[in-house]
Amino acid sequence: MTSRPPATPDAPAAAAGPAPTRRRPRYRPGGTVLTPYLFLLPNMLIFGLFTIWPAINGFNISLYASTTGRSFEWAGLDNYRAIGADDRFWSALTNTLVYVAGFVALSVVCAVLLAVALNAQLRGRSFFRAVFFLPVLLSPVVVGLMWRWMLERRGGLVNAGLQAIGGPEMPWLVDGRLAMLSIIAVGLWTNVGFYTMIALAGLQSIDGSLYEAASVDGASRSQQFWGITLPLLMPTVMVVLILATINGFQAFDYIYNLTGGGPVGGTTLMVQFIYDNAFGPRREYGMAAAASVVLFLVVLSFTLVNWFIGRRREAT
Amino acid sequence: MSAVLPGAVEPVAPPRTPQDPRRRWTSTSGRPPSLADVSRATVLIALSLVVLIPLLWVVLGSFKTPAELALRPPTLVPREWMPGNYTEALGAFAFVRALGNSVFVTVVATALTLVVNSLAAYALAKYNFRGRDFLFLVTLATIMIPLQVILIPVYQITAQLGLVNSLWGVIIPAVATPTGVFLLRQYMLTIPDELIDSARVDGASELRIFLRIVLPLCRPALAVLAIFSVLWRWNDFLWPLVVTDQNTRTLPVALSQFASQEVVPFNLVLVMSVVSIIPVLVAFLLFQRQIVQGIASTGLK
Repeated sequence: MTSRPPATPDAPAAAAGPAPTRRRPRYRPGGTVLTPYLFLLPNMLIFGLFTIWPAINGFNISLYASTTGRSFEWAGLDNYRAIGADDRFWSALTNTLVYVAGFVALSVVCAVLLAVALNAQLRGRSFFRAVFFLPVLLSPVVVGLMWRWMLERRGGLVNAGLQAIGGPEMPWLVDGRLAMLSIIAVGLWTNVGFYTMIALAGLQSIDGSLYEAASVDGASRSQQFWGITLPLLMPTVMVVLILATINGFQAFDYIYNLTGGGPVGGTTLMVQFIYDNAFGPRREYGMAAAASVVLFLVVLSFTLVNWFIGRRREAT
Repeated sequence: MSAVLPGAVEPVAPPRTPQDPRRRWTSTSGRPPSLADVSRATVLIALSLVVLIPLLWVVLGSFKTPAELALRPPTLVPREWMPGNYTEALGAFAFVRALGNSVFVTVVATALTLVVNSLAAYALAKYNFRGRDFLFLVTLATIMIPLQVILIPVYQITAQLGLVNSLWGVIIPAVATPTGVFLLRQYMLTIPDELIDSARVDGASELRIFLRIVLPLCRPALAVLAIFSVLWRWNDFLWPLVVTDQNTRTLPVALSQFASQEVVPFNLVLVMSVVSIIPVLVAFLLFQRQIVQGIASTGLK
């Protein structure tokens, strides 16, 4: 697919010159009326086909019975009833909420603390910043496999390290609760650098003279943190909170490679439930689409709640 | 440091007051760093080890023999170095093909992303036309709709267009990215309209203005989008997993499937992991500033 050059006859811009400008001064038609649309065409074509139309059609698919993706029969809310009666759906939904709660809480706290630490004067600051940011760029597949290997019960480096200091051998990926803890920890390991970077940008926009004034008044460091840093950082914290929530609900690729959703579905989150239904042996498109709609509504409601809380806090 | 007036003789270094805690850690005044400074540095060093050791373990592991990889307890540094793992992996046909697919997808998708998004961004930034604000709002709104949520309908439309199991099916659906349009449009707004108008007066065609004036001025924004596109495409997993087959697998998909075999050749999995990390590492070292700037301006990774 190539970008078609907009066919513009060299219509002199002067043709529209004498006409009084009705709109904003920026309005200076060059080319023909069609020119901007031609510039937009390739993007809008792809965008419409692969984003807009699917976003509308996804709801539609969830209302049809389909196991092959081919034959469609009106099913009304049958698919929703089917996932409602499916234990695996409820377990995936619960797992997702547990994961998001743990992941978001830890992400926000760690990102703020790390950002504060990295914002201070210290030796090797840019080295630390680079190191913490590095995992953000790694392939989630490599991250998953790497940690699968690290957390192996026998022969994993984590347990080897634990045993070297006299600790127990932990079944990190075998025990359900520990596996949930493991995916949260690995999610944090991968993403916290990203949130730290955002928090750091927020910190740097705080006026330094506030701290000087506070220290002249004899405020201690922790008083400065609670009294100045945190209140002024709240808008950034909200951004981190929203991004982490959205990312948390989308989590799939590194978990798929770390635990495969196991043990016995203990780390199967919503995206994997959707993937397994649609592209696993069952090929339950309708059910998967219904689960997608549910996931979308959950993400949307969380985002809206976050957003309203953030706005109210800003207003007061 | 402090501004010393020219001509003024610098007095004896003023005693460091407790009000000046931020300088102390890097100072050479001989004062011992405070407990807070020491504990902060300790925590940061410990945490960076948590980040670096797994990576180091993978890289070192890729040089170990299969026998050593099975050793319990595990070793960190290989006893016997096996660069042969790399030649063995690169000799495996499936791996080379996956690598080639990944390079092709990354390069072509990034080129198309730049073309398609910059054209659209130009229209949205520099023309005033019916529906402009609406189209821009729709573009912005869909940043909130992740692929994970529309996976099935996207797959269906891709299948209907006959793009499943082809590399174009991996490339095209994600080419029109709202993030890219947004980033480039914001940048293009800063280009003065007078520049474009005067080119029109000189008789340049609209496309020529775009190619010769606007694009060169947008180089920094294009660079940011290019780096991001490379990272997205190189590391992408869910979509290629769904849409590729044996012949069109990208590196992450091939790696994932390779690692879930009955008998996993760990030494080769590690080599593939290292190979897939290298371009990211290089991009990061070269373009750290642009990457951070891109995140700051879009809030997306």
